[in-house]
Amino acid sequence: MADLQLDSVTKVFVENDGNEITAVEDVSLEIEDGEFLVLVGPSGCGKSTTLRMVAGLETVTDGEIRLDETVVNERKPKDRDIAMVFQSYALYPHMTVRENMSFGLEESTEMPDDEISETVESASEMLDIDALLDRKPDELSGGQQQRVALGRAIVRDPEVFLLDEPLSNLDAKLRAQMRTELQRLQEKLDVATIYVTHDQTEAMTMADKIAILNDGQLQQVGTPLECYHEPANLFVAGFIGEPSMNFFDASRDGDRLVHEQFEYELSDETAAEIGDHDEVVLGVRPEDIEVRSDCEAAHSYETVVDVVEPMGDENNVYLAFDSEREETFVATIDGFQHVEREQSIVARLPEEAIHVFDRESGRALRNRTLDTQTMAEPPM
Amino acid sequence: MPFWLLPTLLVLLFVYGAIGWNVAISFTGWSGLGQPDYTNFTLEMYRQMPADPDFVASLRNTIALLIAFTSVSLVVGLALALLVDRKIRFENTFRTIYLLPMALSFVVTAIFWSWMYASDGLINTMLSGLGLGWFAQDWLGDPRFKLAAVIVALIWQFSGYCMIVYLAGLRGIPNEHYEAARIDGASTLKLYWRVIIPQLRSSTVGATVVLMVFALKAFDFIYVMFGTNPGRSADILAVTMYREAFSASQWAYGAAIAVVLFALALTIIGPYAYTQYKRGAL
Amino acid sequence: MATNDDETSTGGTDPRRIALYGVLIALVGVYLSPLYSGLTTSLKTQQAYRETSPLQPPLEGLTIDPWLTAASELAFAMVNSFAMVVPATILSAVFGSLAAYGLTKVDWRGQALLLALFLAAVFIPYQAVLVPLRQFWSIVDISSLHARGELVELTITHIAYGIPICTILFRSYYRTLDDELMEAARLDGASLARIYRKIVLPLSLPMFAVTLIYQFTQVWNDFLFALVLLSDRANYVVTLELNALAGAMATDYGVQMAGAFIAALPTIVVYVLFGEQFAKGQTL
Repeated sequence: MADLQLDSVTKVFVENDGNEITAVEDVSLEIEDGEFLVLVGPSGCGKSTTLRMVAGLETVTDGEIRLDETVVNERKPKDRDIAMVFQSYALYPHMTVRENMSFGLEESTEMPDDEISETVESASEMLDIDALLDRKPDELSGGQQQRVALGRAIVRDPEVFLLDEPLSNLDAKLRAQMRTELQRLQEKLDVATIYVTHDQTEAMTMADKIAILNDGQLQQVGTPLECYHEPANLFVAGFIGEPSMNFFDASRDGDRLVHEQFEYELSDETAAEIGDHDEVVLGVRPEDIEVRSDCEAAHSYETVVDVVEPMGDENNVYLAFDSEREETFVATIDGFQHVEREQSIVARLPEEAIHVFDRESGRALRNRTLDTQTMAEPPM
Repeated sequence: MPFWLLPTLLVLLFVYGAIGWNVAISFTGWSGLGQPDYTNFTLEMYRQMPADPDFVASLRNTIALLIAFTSVSLVVGLALALLVDRKIRFENTFRTIYLLPMALSFVVTAIFWSWMYASDGLINTMLSGLGLGWFAQDWLGDPRFKLAAVIVALIWQFSGYCMIVYLAGLRGIPNEHYEAARIDGASTLKLYWRVIIPQLRSSTVGATVVLMVFALKAFDFIYVMFGTNPGRSADILAVTMYREAFSASQWAYGAAIAVVLFALALTIIGPYAYTQYKRGAL
Repeated sequence: MATNDDETSTGGTDPRRIALYGVLIALVGVYLSPLYSGLTTSLKTQQAYRETSPLQPPLEGLTIDPWLTAASELAFAMVNSFAMVVPATILSAVFGSLAAYGLTKVDWRGQALLLALFLAAVFIPYQAVLVPLRQFWSIVDISSLHARGELVELTITHIAYGIPICTILFRSYYRTLDDELMEAARLDGASLARIYRKIVLPLSLPMFAVTLIYQFTQVWNDFLFALVLLSDRANYVVTLELNALAGAMATDYGVQMAGAFIAALPTIVVYVLFGEQFAKGQTL
């Protein structure tokens, strides 16, 4: 039905002094009907620009945007059958909630007034704002305003839903709450959705598919778990996951990776995967680091505890290889394991869990072996 | 404590003291030479007004000027602001040119427009140049057109002011409102009509107050153009007042007319000042 | 601000943009035509004036005689204007700043009421004070003390009536100043006057620019007060003298136009040089 395709889309901005800035470079994406795609990346990576090109608020320098096989590059925003939720909500301050929500229907459809009224009311019920219909935006809280902005978009029954960092103005608790609600909403409406955010947690929890951008270039497209466990490059590996993956610069020396402060032995398999690359980065996620009492297992190292961050369910423990504690890395351990500053403990970096990246290009050479287990359903 | 006492006293004396004094004079029958008699207060001056055809005509003209000048200036100013606000190049140059008339004194403006409206002046010359020669009039002599001619000239002078007020208002509207409306499907016309202009309400109100109060004062322009006696079709209260007081030495009557003018101004400023105060903008 | 690319997606220039620029330029014509044609008229001989349309530049019959005549007529009045405007502008700005400081940064009761009175004072029609003004200055008869006494009276009048708007302008600016600056100074033991001199005044310089420019324009362009207060022709300021000149030279438009330009020159120069501040003064 509504398949949205971005085909090698590029956007170049030309400034007044003739300077060219490439905001988006050669991005290709596909979003199927009903799919929830999150465009994520750091500030300035081009995600908002990409979204705005889909909306028709920016022209496309090169490439095509296709909706249902039809190229829509030249179409005005109002002819694209899309709806957008802005970061600042963009609610019309002089109109009531009802008028805000009816505006789009009044302007872009021939719907008779009573139908518009009905549509607005059922959408407002869905979002739990039906009691607020006759209020003005400045009488509403941030969360309520956000729902109105959503309502205004839903009411249009669009082919594509665009959301530009809609949760960034909310406080943390509200944000977490809205995340689940948005997910539920999107599933119910079953509309192709592009959601832009810089928050990787939102990306991980809400998306069917993530597209990670950096500096205008697409880094990886995949499901959240794919991006988490099989990052395509250094950037993705460091961006996804909280706390971030630990990185160690190392050089290949025969069957070992040599780091300033430790050496890592490689099995034949791993060595083969790494191949000819001599300058690499060794990556391991905090939760994969095991904390032990002895050095017997392979890849165990003596470390000193620098800082402990108790999170309740887990502890984030910052470890260093020597007492100078200059370079630290993070291990996430069970919350009941008690560890103290300056304590010496043994950290093990299991080989199944390491990622190896080529230092120069950032490309992933080896990712952890994935062994997810599907839980068996309980017998009836 | 004292250092702002002096300016405050000056203001209280010269403004409010003088206004009070003027009201007092209007209750006397003072005219000609000599001094006003403050012991015998009378409403005679005010009773004269409705019976005085010059006064009535003047009041009517004043209100007509007020309404026509204000409304058209606002519309022209808004149009200018909307045109200029479109990320054009040389925006500053255009703005400077449209606002330039505001820097001129009304004497200067009156001299230019007196000449423009003359029978062989620019207006008539251009009309005949465009083949509309039959439309040429004695703009400043014909009672049908005098007031309108004045209003047009004043709009020329003040529309730049409206423009910058509206430009400031437009700059306060976030870009996203335009974008959201475009996505919502509004045509450009609807966009401005339903989304942008309603948000310019406070700009409109502020500018209206200023324009109206100015129209009440528009003495300089008409005096220079027509002298103390513009004739019944173009006389406004400000000129009438001056004529009665300073030419005819009817001091008390002039003062009374001035009080009427002041009362008119109050009905415009009063509600505005009050609502601003309520909103805490004061 | 509206977003509009200058180009369509195909890279050509949008015809609507061309139409937009066309309208803007036409409007420039409308707004400048009085000035332009006044200028051409002022540079033409009487004969050339009769024979050519006002829009035609004086290619033949170019003369600066009207300007010379107007200049010699107006010279003394320009001097009078300057002598009056400069002190009036500076003093009303200074007083306005002091009053605004007192009304904003110091807390005492009745502040709001006084502010309201100042604001209202900006809008009153001056007709409401003309007769008392004439009376006042005949009682406080400075004009009899000196040949130029009338100009002193006019200057004082302008200062008094200029204070309200200057106060309002400064006040809106002072509201944006951080209270903590002054509180810190108070804790350091500074008196109110010192705080004003050492902290507030230096910080007020941008606003002084706006206020001086606004007041200069207002006072230079004033006609009404001058008309009422100046009876001695030798004391006439340029607005009055220009009006007299226009009356005397009723048929010689060239001289009238030249005179108008000369009289307007200072305010035009100020406007062109300080356009930003001028606009700010209007919108506050």
